[in-house]
Amino acid sequence: MQLESELHALASEIAWPPTPTLRPRLEPRRRELRRPVLAALALSLTAIAAALAVPPSRAAILRFFHLGAATVQIVEQLPPAQERPLAAGLGPTVPTAAAQATLQGMLLLPPLAPPPPLHLRDGIVSLLFRYHGAVVLLSEISDRNGVLVKKLAGSATHIVPVQVGHNAGLWLSGAPHLFILPSGPPRLAHAVLLWHDGHLTLRLEGKHLTETAANTLAQTLG
Amino acid sequence: MVGVVGGVEGRPPDERELVLRARRGDMRAFEDLVSPHQELAFRVAYLITRNPADAEDTAQEALVKAWRGLGRFRAGAPLRPWLLRIVANEARNRSRASGRRAQLALRAAADFSGEAAPSPEEATLAGSERELLLAALEQLPDDARLVLECRYLLDLSERETAAALGLRRGTVKSRTARALDRLRETYATRV
Repeated sequence: MQLESELHALASEIAWPPTPTLRPRLEPRRRELRRPVLAALALSLTAIAAALAVPPSRAAILRFFHLGAATVQIVEQLPPAQERPLAAGLGPTVPTAAAQATLQGMLLLPPLAPPPPLHLRDGIVSLLFRYHGAVVLLSEISDRNGVLVKKLAGSATHIVPVQVGHNAGLWLSGAPHLFILPSGPPRLAHAVLLWHDGHLTLRLEGKHLTETAANTLAQTLG
Repeated sequence: MVGVVGGVEGRPPDERELVLRARRGDMRAFEDLVSPHQELAFRVAYLITRNPADAEDTAQEALVKAWRGLGRFRAGAPLRPWLLRIVANEARNRSRASGRRAQLALRAAADFSGEAAPSPEEATLAGSERELLLAALEQLPDDARLVLECRYLLDLSERETAAALGLRRGTVKSRTARALDRLRETYATRV
């Protein structure tokens, strides 16, 4: 007990650096941005759903919609592409400061200790890690960097609108879709949760990822 | 007690209301919500980063993340442990990236700012048992040092320490006991 008392007493003699006045630059919360995003998404999905519901139009369908820095396009037939490892083409690892600078301080991390390495390529910050034993890839893109990624999905890919916390998103599952990055060859992607958080577009991918697991993981990012 | 941040986990009665208002986008409510915790947030960040500039950046960044993540905060839960967890996560990332933490040391007096920490021998000559205790504390492994600093220097509860360090409460309890034993051994050889 004496040592504990001495430690408590020590606390009063620590010369802490003066606490600065913290004035974080707060942006309006996504709640204010959510309505237009949801509205645009709803319109797009309605169009897709309507088109898919009419068999004669299925062959000719060519629709696309946007979610943040991502464009999802429904095509009649996927172009040929290879299945490549999730770790392929992520770019070199970078310090947190570099990733934060790329994303204008909006980087979100999974609650893992230590945090997974951060990769950076073409303005996309990527983290590859295990979640409940399965390998998942988290990609983060700032809307402000002019980076766009594209997804091509055939009619056998299921695309459903989802809520990720307060944010609008899409869950892609079923048949693999094509994932096209700003550089590098396209590759096939399996289950993907895509959502938009403020000015950040996020993407979680894993071959064995379920919608529930992806959504749960997405909401733990911070 | 000068320099010790209050360790009571109790929440002001209007915290829940402030959370709800902040969730609706009321920035002023958010400032009112986090303002009582700013000093503690900065000190947690400082203990981990050991650099005032990094600690300030960390705390700023953590508040931005808290603002953005408020929708995931469970209304009615105490805010402070949640906020400390965000601060500590951010501090660990920044500390790891900067690699400067090892060059810094906790000071026993403001006059030492910018110089190397006094060695245990110097502290002995100065006749200060507190400085000896501080030197012994600083020589503990990071895990042990941080848990004691959170519990005793910041006066955090076990729950808050667990949140800040990403541990279970039981782990905080056992780690604190082991760290105290280790500190006791080290300190005993110096006085």
